[in-house]
Amino acid sequence: MKMESPSLLVSGLRKQFARPAVDGLDLTIARGELYALLGPNGAGKTTTLRMVAGLLAPDAGRIEVNGIDLALDPAGAKRSMAYLPDDPMLYGKLKPTEYLEFVAGLWGVDGSTAEPRARQLLDWLDLTKHAHELTEGFSRGMKQKLALAGALIHEPQLLILDEPLTGLDAGASRQVKDLLLSHVAKGGTVILTTHILEVAERLAQRIGIIQHGRLIAQGTLEQLRQETEAETLEDMFLQLTGQA
Amino acid sequence: MIARPGSALWLLHHEVRLFWYTTLASKKGKEPRGFHWKLLVPWLVIWLAIHAGGWYVVGKVFDGAAEMPQTLVVAASMLLVATFLFMLSSALKSSVEVLFDRGDMDLLLSSPLPSRSIFSVRLAGVVLGVASLYLFFLAPLAHVGLLQGHPRWLALYPVLLGMAAIASAAAMLLTLALVRWLGARRTRVVAQVLGALAGALLFILSQLPNLAVQTGASEGILARMARSSADIAADSLVWLPGRALLGDPMGAATVGVVALLAFALTVALTHRSFTRGLQLTAGIAKPSTRPTGALRFRFHQNLATTLIRKEWRLILRDPQLISQVLLQLLYLIPVLFLVFRKDGAQTLAVGTGLTLLCGSLSSSLAWIVLLSEDAPDLLQSSPANPRTVRHAKLAAAVGPVLALVCVPVLWLTWRAPVSGLLVAFTVCGVAIGSTLIVMWTGKPGERSALARRGQGNGVSAIFELSHLFGWGALAFMLPYAANQAQTGLGMAAGIGFAGAVAGGMPLLAWVFRRRTH
Repeated sequence: MKMESPSLLVSGLRKQFARPAVDGLDLTIARGELYALLGPNGAGKTTTLRMVAGLLAPDAGRIEVNGIDLALDPAGAKRSMAYLPDDPMLYGKLKPTEYLEFVAGLWGVDGSTAEPRARQLLDWLDLTKHAHELTEGFSRGMKQKLALAGALIHEPQLLILDEPLTGLDAGASRQVKDLLLSHVAKGGTVILTTHILEVAERLAQRIGIIQHGRLIAQGTLEQLRQETEAETLEDMFLQLTGQA
Repeated sequence: MIARPGSALWLLHHEVRLFWYTTLASKKGKEPRGFHWKLLVPWLVIWLAIHAGGWYVVGKVFDGAAEMPQTLVVAASMLLVATFLFMLSSALKSSVEVLFDRGDMDLLLSSPLPSRSIFSVRLAGVVLGVASLYLFFLAPLAHVGLLQGHPRWLALYPVLLGMAAIASAAAMLLTLALVRWLGARRTRVVAQVLGALAGALLFILSQLPNLAVQTGASEGILARMARSSADIAADSLVWLPGRALLGDPMGAATVGVVALLAFALTVALTHRSFTRGLQLTAGIAKPSTRPTGALRFRFHQNLATTLIRKEWRLILRDPQLISQVLLQLLYLIPVLFLVFRKDGAQTLAVGTGLTLLCGSLSSSLAWIVLLSEDAPDLLQSSPANPRTVRHAKLAAAVGPVLALVCVPVLWLTWRAPVSGLLVAFTVCGVAIGSTLIVMWTGKPGERSALARRGQGNGVSAIFELSHLFGWGALAFMLPYAANQAQTGLGMAAGIGFAGAVAGGMPLLAWVFRRRTH
């Protein structure tokens, strides 16, 4: 892992299905940054994240995670990142403890490292009292929190989250947001997509807006404000995507 | 006639439409889901073929006799017992589906429709759904009987509907009772297992005479039952269902009255319970398991062990899956009796049975483990070596099957070493081959679709079946040839052909493998 490299470097990324889903996307996200990727439905956000997570092969372009080329060394690149889709990747017939054991096994985390981490995460996310239940009985928020614990068990540098707050109640939403901010404060990187613009406005250091698979605007909230002369992120978003 | 919206008849029409959509309507996304004659054509052809077969059978069996032969009454009674067990099995599954799986009950119960009507129609829907399959296959006999001068045979319609009503009422009452006693969450599991067992019970019952009685090899089960039932008087109530099926007015009337009473009583007594049961199911996502002690983790395993443990846990904790897989194990029971019987000696049949069972079980487990992964993205987004993951999953599928049959195979080897070793070879071969075929050509799906995994994937089904029969034939012929002083040319050719099929199918599966895997 090169210390000087950005956490995520995407260049000339393309993916076409029936039409171009991602069309020459360039993106650089520094270490310790929380980056929000916004866009209308079908803009290419999820396709981009799935390509970065190694779940979808790009037609063209390059992806580097912490200086490691995803195409050349997929296992190396994946080792330092975690992906959390909007539908949590859980096993209904496993208990939270067993799920965390499994995820730690996939990432090859040693038990002496994983166990205190697992206890801490379950505790932080208020899941300890449910640790002996099968996850199939969990609410949407509990599932999302457990999936997040699974994503953090191997202490990834880069955390990729697709709509992490959808369907969560206020309490669960606050817990997830706190955990993300804590991850960033410790030098971790977060890239997330969300339709809840207020979340992006309050959490993200930089915001990217994607439409038709292309990045049409990017910057801090202030930079976007100056570019659009709009007051709120909602106005900026609607103006930039031509929906105003 | 168009039923008045909101009436029970209107609701029944809705129920029938749902039945059509879930059973016969086109499953292809672009095709409209309504009524199409072209969808009925293949069923019509099969139905006419059954009529043709029925014409031959009825003519031969009944032979114009004015009185019902007692053998026919016994056969009809046995047929009804078997049918009732299968109906009960289907009705239990349908009751669970109506109670738990269909997502429209909240809508119906929040409407101004009386819950009594909703429950009546739901139960009627279950009855029609349960009866339809048996009417399809058995009604041709009644039609043929009518054409051959036995109009009484039309009693088959009310009798089958009556039996379906009794089975459905019993199943619904049992389901509701289970909800009350065990809670909604456990009921789902128990009812599914009971449903599977009710069907399997018939197989076990049919095998009991084979296991318990040392009779001549060629005596048919019907003749054996007729012989053992000779002590029961012909006009006994025991034969009433059979007589009813063959058109005895008193018998048919009795079945009809009992069915109507069962239906009416079930509706009258339980429509409130039904609503209570449904309300309980709303809490299905909230298990009240209390924490049991301190947190305990077991992180100290390698990736392969972690994966195998995960797969086995998921299977062992899924009673529905287990009931479907274990159903195949029930067929092992008669084989085991033969293996451990002291005069046993039916090595060829045992070896073939074990091999076929192994192949079938391996295919099911391989599909569950390899193709119904709950979180494929998690595995793919992890740095875990895909080859290690695949190998661990193969081991998770094949391991339990081989462990299961190792005792009978070892026993066989102890008694007849050469035959035992050959059976061990065919058992290992079929288990590995079946798993590979599923891995390469199987169609991914959810675990709940295990029973329907072959649908829309004919190539894989053909490979699996051919492979299974190839190894089954080898398991029969190899020990046979090994025990002969000289192997004939025909036997050698047979072994060669079976070996080519057994070995060739996995190769073909690899050639036609799904590229997405």
